[in-house]
This record gives sequence, C-alpha cells and structure tokens, in this order.
Amino acid sequence: MESYKVNTPEGTRDKLFEESDRRRSAEAAITKLFRRRGYREVITPCVEYYDLFVQAQNPLPQESMLKLVDRSGRILVLRPDCTTPIARVAATRLAQHRLPQRLFYNQTIFRSGDANHGLSSEISQCGIELIGAEGLRADVEAVALAVESLQAAGLENFRIELGHTGFFTALAEEMELDGEKVRALRDCIENKSFAVLDDMLAGENSPAAAAMKRIAVLFGGVEILEEARGLTDNAKALNVIAYLSDIYAELKAAGMGDYISFDLGIVSGLEYYTGLIFRGYAPGAGSVIVAGGRYDNLISDFGKAIPATGFAVYVDSLVSCLPHEEAVKADTIIYYKSGCLKQALELINSLPAGSAELSESESESGCMDDAFARGFKRMMIVSKMGSVEVKIGG
Amino acid sequence: MADIKIAITKGRLLDNSIAMFERAGYDCSQLKNPGRRLIHPIPDTPFSGVLAKAPDVITYVEHGVCAMGIVGRDTIMEHSHDFYEVLDLGFGKCRFAVAAPKDKDFYAGYETKRIASKYPKVAHDYFLSKGMDVSVIKIEGSVELAPLLGLSDAIVDIVETGSTLAANGLEVIETICQLSARLIVNTAAMKLHRTEILEFVDRCRGALE
Repeated sequence: MESYKVNTPEGTRDKLFEESDRRRSAEAAITKLFRRRGYREVITPCVEYYDLFVQAQNPLPQESMLKLVDRSGRILVLRPDCTTPIARVAATRLAQHRLPQRLFYNQTIFRSGDANHGLSSEISQCGIELIGAEGLRADVEAVALAVESLQAAGLENFRIELGHTGFFTALAEEMELDGEKVRALRDCIENKSFAVLDDMLAGENSPAAAAMKRIAVLFGGVEILEEARGLTDNAKALNVIAYLSDIYAELKAAGMGDYISFDLGIVSGLEYYTGLIFRGYAPGAGSVIVAGGRYDNLISDFGKAIPATGFAVYVDSLVSCLPHEEAVKADTIIYYKSGCLKQALELINSLPAGSAELSESESESGCMDDAFARGFKRMMIVSKMGSVEVKIGG
Repeated sequence: MADIKIAITKGRLLDNSIAMFERAGYDCSQLKNPGRRLIHPIPDTPFSGVLAKAPDVITYVEHGVCAMGIVGRDTIMEHSHDFYEVLDLGFGKCRFAVAAPKDKDFYAGYETKRIASKYPKVAHDYFLSKGMDVSVIKIEGSVELAPLLGLSDAIVDIVETGSTLAANGLEVIETICQLSARLIVNTAAMKLHRTEILEFVDRCRGALE
C-alpha cells in the first residue's frame, strides 16, 4: 500500500520541535535529579527474548507485546516494560555487587494497543529501581523521589496516591474466602463497583466484611487512614495503616504532605506488588503519570531473592499536563564574508540558543532577500573587521 | 468550581438517565432542551452533560475528557476498558444471547459455525470460553438477516423481548449474560474530584428505582 510509505504505524508519531523539546527537558530534569540522589543509569536492550516477560507474576498479556522472530526462530519482543529487564540485570550481572543498588532508566517501552483508541504504543518512561533495600525508609525514598521528579519537571498541581497490598489481603484472609470469591471481590473493588460490592457482602456480618464494604471508598486525604483504623481490629490490617501513617508523617515533615493521598482499594497489581503501591495523577492527564511500588518477589524469578522498590514516570502524560511554553523563535540571520566562518561561529555561539541561524546564501543581497522572505528581524554581516547589524523591515 | 463532564448515551438510555437525575434532585432543563448546544450545564452544580453514541462515551471517559459516563454493559463488554464501573443503574435492561433458526439444531454437525454479530468481541469471547471454534462476522445493521440469508448459523445480539427474533423464525438458544446501563468514572477524575463525584454517585444511587 502506497500510504504505508508516508504514514507512521498506528500508535506512533513524529514529535516535532516544541513537543520534543518539552519531552527532552522533562527527561533531563528528572534524570539529573536521579543522579543527584545517587542513582546510576542502566540502558537495557530494546529487544529482549519473549521468555523474559513471561514471569509467573507478570500481568502483561501476550497480545500487548510487539513481537519479532530472530534468525534462529526465537521470539523477541520490543521492551514492553523497564523493570523486568532491570530485575534480570540485578539478579545476574549485579549479583555479586553490594546492595542496595540504585539504578535509573530513561527508555521507551512498546505496547501493542487496540487500534483507533488514540493511545500510544511507544511510551517514554523515566524511572528508578531501588534494589536490595526493604522497609520504611526505602519506600519513603521512592515516594519522595517521585514527588520531586514531578516538581523537577515543572509540574505543580499533582497527587501521589499511596496504597498497600496488605490491607485487602488481611481482610480477605480474616473472612476465610475461597479463591473464586476473592477474585470477584477484587474485581468489584478495582472497578469501585460500590453497589455490587454491597450486594456481594450482604449476607456477611463479620467486622472484616463491614470493613471490606467500605474499602472501595477508602480513598482520599490522610483522614481516610483514621476511618480505616476505626473499621477493623485485624492486627495485620492495622499494621498496614500504621505503616502508611509513618510514611505520610515523614513526607509531611519534608513539606510533601499536600501532594500525598491514599487509596486502600488499589488491588490491581497484587500478583506483582508485595507492599506499598503508589500512583500519580494530575489535572489534564486522564491516566496515571507515575506508577510504582514494592515488588519483593520479582527478582527471585531470575534466581536471587532480593527485595526491591521503584517507580516510572510516564513522561508524555506528564508533559501533556505542563503549561505550554512558547519556544524561542530565530530572529537573526548571520551572513559571513568568505574566510570569516570562525568569527561567524563565535557570534552565533554568543547569542541565545535558537535565536539565530547562519545564512547559506552566497551573497549579501541574497541573504538580505532571504531575511525579508523569512521574516527575520535583523541580519548580521560578519567580516574580518567585526560584525555590522542591519535591521530588517523597520 | 470544578468542571465535571458526564457523557450520556443518546437514545433510550438518555430518557432514563434524565429521569434518574431529576429524582436525584438535579435540574435537567438544559439537558431536556438541548437546542444547538453540545454541552449542557446542570445549574448550580459543577456538572454538565454531553450526549454521545455509546462507544464514544467509553472513549471520552477513558481519555478523561469526560469524568463520568452512562453506558450500557454491552458496550463496555465489547470495548476494552480502563475506568471504574461504579453503579448498575438498573435501567436499559436486556441480555446478550445466542439465537439460531428454530427449525435447525445449531450444534449439529462438525463444520465450524459462523456467527454474525454487532458485537464480534463478545461473540468471540463467549465461544472461546466454551472451547468452541467459530468464525465471527461483524454485521452493522439488522443482525437477524444474516441467518435468513444463509450467511451465518446463528447470531449473538442484545435481546429484550425476543419478538424481533420470533418474527424472523429465530429463537434464543443460550443467554450469555444480563445487561443494563452502568455509571462509569475515569480513574484519575475519581481521585482528583473525590467529593463531587462520590456525592453524585450517592445521589444517583439513592434515586435508583
């Protein structure tokens, strides 16, 4: 088909000028911050064996991965996720290194989305993995870094929402539910299907069931932790609440309290996450701009049990929430006499980036015509004697 | 005040939605007399209504340009979804069913059956769950025509009373599931406008028949 020659594949697109500038400057700000916090960059291959992503706990459906077949017939995928390859690196090449390891990445992931949904199949992510560290301080570090990443990129209005796998799990254990019922409950809570949840738990009178009924609305500010505390006397569930309170206290003391909210009904990644889960939202983005959490079981799939936590910033979604800044427009064209390239380069290097261009015209008059036609405000004529400024168009 | 848009499926579900909003105490005068405007504010609330075709309701809510939507469960099942499905509104009740010509045994024979449907994903998923290999043909208009013309062995469609089926010599051989209208909420909007949205959900819930 002729049109395949000039169009980009579904879900991908060219990013021109301001759009790429904005993405690059967000990436630069975030990765600079990561370095300052002692994280070191890892670049993993763009293609990996399909087998890498078929982990027991990996929730990625195979149809969401873009596949290739190599010369020997093995199935490859375009990197659908950044954390799994880094877990592989941690368990293999970094296995002898001292823990914890602080790693970061700035890479694109690829997904094969449904046609015509307007969703990207090329998603740029900046993120960190804090490998070999467990406990409160490691979790606090990850959340604080997520907050600071968004700030560094220039975002002011956003929310980082904290959840924990342990709250739901503790209540489900107390209710002694079978696997089928737990799955049905999770679906309801995940969808925040309040009414169905009530119906499903209608016959149950235990305190755990009463708490379970409320779990779908247990999201919002720090006050919901108080409410959750009043709902149950399950020791494990209360431990989770105390843990979240402690994390909040530390973040609040660091001046980040206003960015933090909670959702005890995050139950979607229970196969993968093993503790704290967090997500970032901002007005202007319909989906998450940050996603992360603790995943203590993933690395053991590659032969070494190491606790870990991390997050990824969805750079494109983040950038779409940032205020639009006008780019610098070139207003100066530089003409240099033969033999004066050196002086011309010195001049252009002294001007603000993006504000000037060298003329490729062979003659002064040709450059002048160009300057008029393209709307430059001034022309600089560079000779051995120095440079002369000519104002264009009054 | 926050600006929270609700996408409402045009047609049958719209009348029911307006009735529910009114029982919940919302002023729907603008929604009832849309004129040429496309966005209809609900006075003295942060909410406004937008009318859309069912699949577009899902698209608007998934992309977050509308915070909430009212759409049939049938459309949700046919399209992938990433949003909160908070309430079963109880109206727009019908079911997904497999229907086949009365005089024939659908399961007889060994050839791969052909299924016509406006909902190819639902049809495909249903037969997949039964471990049955079928070929699904997408039809846009009156699906009942497909078996009459000999294009398919059966259809998968929404059935309310079954009278259209009967008039065309078809009968329901299996019910796939029950359907009704749902209130859906964008995941980010739920977090960013918690108070307003939960209050809206509560009032709608109180106004269910």
